[in-house]
Amino acid sequence: MSRNLVWYCLKKLLLFFLSMLLLSLAVFCAAHFAPGDPLVSYYGERAEKLTPEERAQAEERLGLYDPLHTQYLRWLSNALRGDFGMSYKYKTGVLEVIGKRLNNTLLLGGTGFLLIFLLSPVLGILCARFEDKPLDRLLCWAGSLSSCIPEFWLSLTLILVFSVWLRLLPSSGAYAVGKAGDWESRLTHLILPLAVVVLSHLWYYAYMIRNQLLEEVRANYVLLAKTKGLSRRQILLRHCLRNVLPPYFSMMAVAVPHILGGTYVVETVFSYPGLGALSYESARNQDTHLLMALCLLSGGAVMLCSMLAQAVNERVDPRTRSGGGMEVERRG
Amino acid sequence: MAEILLDVQEVSCRFPMPGRTVLRAVDGVSFQIRRGEVFGLVGESGSGKSTLARCIMNLCRPSAGKIFYQGIDIWDKKQFRENRKRLQTARQIIFQDSTSSLNQRMKAADIIAEPMVIHGVTPPRGSWRAEAAFQLHYVGLDASYLDKYPPELSGGMRQRVAIARALSMEPEFLVADEPVSSLDVSIQAQILNLFRHLQEEHGFTFLFIAHDLPVIRYLCDRVAVMYRGKIVELAPAETLFADPRHSYTRALLASVPLPDPRRERARKPVEFGEFSTAGTLRELAPEHFVLTEGCG
Amino acid sequence: MAELLEVKNLSVSFQTPQGEIEAVRDVSFSVKAGEALAIVGESGCGKSVLCKSILKLLPPSAQIKSGTISAGGADITAIPEREMRKLRGRLFSMVFQDPMTALNPTIPAGRQIAEAVCVHRPRMPKAEVRRRADALLELVGLEPEKARLYPHQLSGGMRQRCVMAIALAAEPQILFADEPTTALDVTVQAQILDLLREIQRILGTATVLVSHDLGVVARVADRVAVMYAGKIVEIGTAEEIFYDPRHPYTWGLLLALPACAREGEPLRAIPGAPPSLLHPPKGDAFAPRSRYALAIDYEETPPMFQITETHFAATWLLDRRAPSVESPVKGGFYG
Repeated sequence: MSRNLVWYCLKKLLLFFLSMLLLSLAVFCAAHFAPGDPLVSYYGERAEKLTPEERAQAEERLGLYDPLHTQYLRWLSNALRGDFGMSYKYKTGVLEVIGKRLNNTLLLGGTGFLLIFLLSPVLGILCARFEDKPLDRLLCWAGSLSSCIPEFWLSLTLILVFSVWLRLLPSSGAYAVGKAGDWESRLTHLILPLAVVVLSHLWYYAYMIRNQLLEEVRANYVLLAKTKGLSRRQILLRHCLRNVLPPYFSMMAVAVPHILGGTYVVETVFSYPGLGALSYESARNQDTHLLMALCLLSGGAVMLCSMLAQAVNERVDPRTRSGGGMEVERRG
Repeated sequence: MAEILLDVQEVSCRFPMPGRTVLRAVDGVSFQIRRGEVFGLVGESGSGKSTLARCIMNLCRPSAGKIFYQGIDIWDKKQFRENRKRLQTARQIIFQDSTSSLNQRMKAADIIAEPMVIHGVTPPRGSWRAEAAFQLHYVGLDASYLDKYPPELSGGMRQRVAIARALSMEPEFLVADEPVSSLDVSIQAQILNLFRHLQEEHGFTFLFIAHDLPVIRYLCDRVAVMYRGKIVELAPAETLFADPRHSYTRALLASVPLPDPRRERARKPVEFGEFSTAGTLRELAPEHFVLTEGCG
Repeated sequence: MAELLEVKNLSVSFQTPQGEIEAVRDVSFSVKAGEALAIVGESGCGKSVLCKSILKLLPPSAQIKSGTISAGGADITAIPEREMRKLRGRLFSMVFQDPMTALNPTIPAGRQIAEAVCVHRPRMPKAEVRRRADALLELVGLEPEKARLYPHQLSGGMRQRCVMAIALAAEPQILFADEPTTALDVTVQAQILDLLREIQRILGTATVLVSHDLGVVARVADRVAVMYAGKIVEIGTAEEIFYDPRHPYTWGLLLALPACAREGEPLRAIPGAPPSLLHPPKGDAFAPRSRYALAIDYEETPPMFQITETHFAATWLLDRRAPSVESPVKGGFYG
């Protein structure tokens, strides 16, 4: 058994590194062929005034003249040694740049994800429990509405209402100037972007739970559970939820990029200094090293999450547990 | 003795299963079907009877063994190619579940005519529609059913359409895989009568697969009993029902409840364990083959 | 003996986009303690709906139009769901057709049985629950080790035994069995039917068996009700129904069986198909398919004529004005 486990982990690890390698290659090529001038991000506005000789010199220095595969291999060998290069724009190590912004994104995305993760089962169960009753209909209506509104539009509306009209909440940034360590300031800056992230994703998952629960409720074993004398609430919580949660877990792991992507959009609208804004910027200016690191970070997170989901799934649902105990006996 | 139409020789069909095990759906089965007879294949779910039917119809490749249809090795690529048209028109299959085996979005007329269209047969009765009407009439439905879709028909009528489709190619060999087991008693009797009528009028050769023993007894000339991928007993129907030799056949016959309460109440509770599938098929009496162990 | 379950003039309808389907039409019957009643009929005749309407397991689109159901001496026709829940499991429970889907696939069989034990006795200590679950497994002929297995690890027959253990967990007085063996193999079916009879004998549980198979019915039932197009057309003891049936539909059902075929003759099939219950026909619904139909059959619904103290049949042939018709199945086939 433990031998199997080691094998299992080794296989997954190998798969993980292989995927990362492919991802890095794909992003490197894409970044190279995409329009944009790395020198702009390096020299800022001065790049326009460079003489052709200065330009050639700079490109030579940054290694941009080498053929693509040499550039990639150079990047790879450095990366394997833990050196992800320097950001053209910030002139410091890529990891340092990311490190400064990571906290903000983790705060926004992580809190958003957690809220969605916890709230959607609650909403789904409520709707399934009161199927076709007024509560269910109201939630379905409100939910579809909130999930259909585009994120940027919702953001702008909220800014208009809460920042411009009511002047209750700040409209941009992660904290007021000079108050980086102030929790209250961080919190007030978090509310609006968080609301947008949650509102625009929550219903998608809650509705999925609702529908899967309702499908389970129509299964035969529910009739048997009913003849035992269980109530609808008991059947929902003890039987149906159990069968719905494993696919929900894997769904939520796959949802990480979905929600992360949403967070990036929201960050841009609210000028929230997180990874989203950074990725956008680095991709636009061909800040290659920064972009590579960001993509690998996001990609790695996504892959880790789906592997985790699969592992969880296999533990909870006995049917997907591979090997052992198949069809013990055939006859009655 | 009549000509041998189908010769199944040592056919096995294995499927890989999770956990490095192999499911032997069909395990070294041999038998012959003669022209004009109704050959019954009986066994419980999972005994391999449907898989065997699929092997015979070129729908599922056996992992070992050979199947000859009138001397043609049907799983030999070259021989199959050379006789393709003949093999595909002379053999037809009728499935159990006509709800899923008929295309829900095709009218009865198109379902029945489709095999003829595919094989480019010139309709002898003028048009394909007339041909479909003829076949429908033949299985006891009038022309008003030509434009109906399968969901508009009841189970019995759908099964009739499935039979009409199979008959449209004027086959000589019909495989019927549990054709009546999803039907109600009163409808089942209608379809069984139809089968019997077809066989008597046209001398079709039938491979009739069922799990219902009274149905098999009513319709079949010879019967093979399958258990866990093997034929455990093969005999003329009368002999098999009067004098079952293999312990599984006996258990099967003893398990069938009959519509007679006094007899049923007097019956002792049944106790079965596992049945032996070891040994080889031997002819214990003329025409009566039983799976027996040892060399006696 | 007192009637344990009494159904009077029950009618159940389904609301569908096409209109109202009258699935059960004016059905009356009763079940005494400890007896086995079989309801036999073809698919769509309303036999399964009848059972589920008694346990109130029907979807919201179904509705009891008229009639009363009383069980254990109390009228339960319109009692609220909360009260009904207390009766399910204890007064009556049910075994379903398809054992493949009747168990929750993600919970070990033993825990599902234990849950059924606990429902009505939430304060029962854990060890006691375990002992009771093991006893139930033994009752249905399974070893206690099977309790740890998940449904997909059990065979069809073993699953159906588990379902029966669940149904019997709170010692119900009536056990409904809706086609309990239809999805099983013949040899397994025989064992499950024996088990049903055994349980009825040991525990004294009244059984209501729903089946389309007359052989299965003959094996289990003391009394038999024959249903056609939403109505009970004949009811009587098993002997009366199998050896001296009076309704043309019962004759037709028995004669159509391959087991009853005469040597060298075609089966005596019933022509036509059952009517749609969307617009049930006037009069005797079986008349269009019956060789013995009288003119009045197409006009007026026949009442239940009493033949003996226990035997009733709804056919105008039993009216004293009707021409006398020789029953084609008198005396049964083997008797």
